Amino acid sequence: MTAHAISAGHAESSTVTGIPNGKLGMWLFLASEVMFFTGLIGAYIVLRFSNLQWPGSEGHLVVWIGTANTLILICSSTTIVLALAALERRDLPAIRMWLLLTIALGSLFLGVKGYEYAQKFSHHIVPSTNVFWSCYFTLTGFHALHVLGGIVFNLFVLRQTFRGAGWGGQQHRLELAGLYWHFVDIVWIFLFPLLYLF
Amino acid sequence: MPQALTSTKRYVAIWGWLAGLMLLGVVLCELALGLPKWLVVATVLILSSVKALLVALYYMHLKGDRRLLLFVAIAPLFIIALALAVLFSSRFVRL
Repeated sequence: MTAHAISAGHAESSTVTGIPNGKLGMWLFLASEVMFFTGLIGAYIVLRFSNLQWPGSEGHLVVWIGTANTLILICSSTTIVLALAALERRDLPAIRMWLLLTIALGSLFLGVKGYEYAQKFSHHIVPSTNVFWSCYFTLTGFHALHVLGGIVFNLFVLRQTFRGAGWGGQQHRLELAGLYWHFVDIVWIFLFPLLYLF
Repeated sequence: MPQALTSTKRYVAIWGWLAGLMLLGVVLCELALGLPKWLVVATVLILSSVKALLVALYYMHLKGDRRLLLFVAIAPLFIIALALAVLFSSRFVRL
């Protein structure tokens, strides 16, 4: 186990692997999630190759909005890892502040995504408009659900920080929430150029 | 210098790289610069892979963590490579 993980609140694990069960479980879950999103992205790439008109004449995505949203998600990845750094320093107010900022940035990302959806719907662009928009709403919809899940997870961890002495035994959950949040960021790192730039 | 402080500096530096590489990809795609489309797509996908690697190694702490976790993280990539090999093999699939 790394010095980082130990200082982040893990006791030296007595598991066979030497890795805390929760952390190993989270990594296995993320591996399955990689397969899930790869299936969707793979389908998108195949459809992209077989359609010359992409995204079609019905409309297009606004690159600067996608760029701003990507920046928001990158910032949120940094804020949650700074929460983990604050945990190393045993700085509880800083942990809360960075977690709250992560939640706020995640919510902002969803807000911008909601605005984009509303804009498309107002122009009568829906999932059934054409293949591109089917892919767009499917990929971004599933990603947004994962962001929402991450926000709920972060809120749960934030609530744990107010449990006083009870927080001591729950600190590893911050690392798990961080792993999940970074995964959501990595998925968007690939979705952004595929949907907005190419 | 305390380790937490050096980690914080490193995290902020990685943020700079992530944001910079992302903006570089956007500029490449938007300005095109007379480059062939395939070259732009390949470059931006490589930039995305570098960003993903930075997040995995430094933010998810795969660098320096137990080797088993590295295997767990890499395993799906092998399966993906296999799936892509089948997908792009004209013997099995016609795009």
